[in-house]
Amino acid sequence: MALQYKTIHPVKYLRDFLAHNVRPDGRGLLKFRPMALNVRSISSADGSALVKIGNTSVICGIKAELATPKAEEPDRGFIVPNVELSPLSSSKFRPGPPSEEAQVASQFVFDVILNSGCIDTKCLCIVPDKLAWVLYCDLVCLNYDGSVLDACILALMAALNTVSLPEVEYDHEKSTTTVKTERVPLKILSMPVSTTHAIFDDEVLLADPTCEEEDLASGTITVVVSEGKLCSVWKPGGSPLTESQMDGCVDRAKNRVSSVLDLINTALKSSS
Amino acid sequence: MAAMAEDQHVLRKMFCEFDVLSCPDGSAMKYRNRSCLRPNKLIIDKACVEAVYRPKVGQPRVADKTKEKMIGNTCSSAILSTLYPRTSVSIILQEMQNSGGLMACAINAAYLALIRSGIAMKFLVAAVTCGITKDDKVILDPDLNKVKDCHTELMFAFDSIDFNIVAVDSSGQYTEEQYQKALSLCKEASNEIFDFYRNLVKKYACCI
Repeated sequence: MALQYKTIHPVKYLRDFLAHNVRPDGRGLLKFRPMALNVRSISSADGSALVKIGNTSVICGIKAELATPKAEEPDRGFIVPNVELSPLSSSKFRPGPPSEEAQVASQFVFDVILNSGCIDTKCLCIVPDKLAWVLYCDLVCLNYDGSVLDACILALMAALNTVSLPEVEYDHEKSTTTVKTERVPLKILSMPVSTTHAIFDDEVLLADPTCEEEDLASGTITVVVSEGKLCSVWKPGGSPLTESQMDGCVDRAKNRVSSVLDLINTALKSSS
Repeated sequence: MAAMAEDQHVLRKMFCEFDVLSCPDGSAMKYRNRSCLRPNKLIIDKACVEAVYRPKVGQPRVADKTKEKMIGNTCSSAILSTLYPRTSVSIILQEMQNSGGLMACAINAAYLALIRSGIAMKFLVAAVTCGITKDDKVILDPDLNKVKDCHTELMFAFDSIDFNIVAVDSSGQYTEEQYQKALSLCKEASNEIFDFYRNLVKKYACCI
């Protein structure tokens, strides 16, 4: 019976739950879903991680390649994040070129890397104007069940922590490169942690929304905290929020940081 | 020095010209944009609001998709979309010149075009940009020269009724105090933009 009710009146179904301060999956309104993290899941990649937040799962693989730096920034390497929301993750997505949502997610991940300064792209440069590393960070969503941006950032940061790059020697005279077998871990300068809230019925805030909640929500807000500082507050339209509601989102995002960092550290320790 | 300090809390002069384009239902050249109603995508019980953002040169890229989403969502939150079932509202923005605060300008231009097109809205939205300089000062509406001194740029969009926050976008790192400071400054400045809207409507409306 509940299933039919949910299909016919999805909004009312959710509203009935929220009236009792509980969500359809049994969580409180501001409770987060349990997270699971596995690092070094892909042995052929230079760094990888698999993240599960509730049913949302994202796998991140990082591949390092050598390239020539851009002429305008000869002393910097590149980081190229790419979020893939494939049809296997949700019936919302169709095969073909990246959907708008995937493009927006890729850009968001790129902005977070840039704003948080978690990697100094100067470290990726081997020989200025000649040789630099490109880190292709492929984030594939395996199951789309809301808060994908949070999962992407977590997977990316965990994967970046496992990246080690081989030492490279460059011969200026012959312009040849020799890749050695010794590997050096990549230096990570900060750890951004992202937290998403959904706004339902213009006033109720739901932490870490599922896909169903996101679809019915009138807006989302994503806060990224890095080393005690805010590095992104992203609210692309939707219902207006009061200042106190916004502050609540920021506070919860800050409080969540330690648990997420603990998870990453535990996963890294257990795998090494 | 007093003049200097004051200067940092003042919005740059705004210009707007309506009806620069003849075909769409409403257009505003704040840096030129237009919005039009045409059946494209179809949602049975409400209007579909979409934004198209064209950069000054070249094809729209991935970064422009993020802008489109920001502008589209910000506009759709105010439009009374249930009044226009099976309708699509396309907001087409063409970047003409970027001298800082592009995102805020695009949102304001979109709203001016929406006003002109006569679409029913719950509230209006005013977007304001501010920057935080390296010596921890918050400056309002920085131009390209001032942006170079800023490590952070924040964009806030407020509604016209309770001045609640409709949209936020940021680049760079900042503390919570800096965020609060920027927010209150932008909130104050948004009044000026609503006045600007009001004056424009007075000027262009043929009968009130």
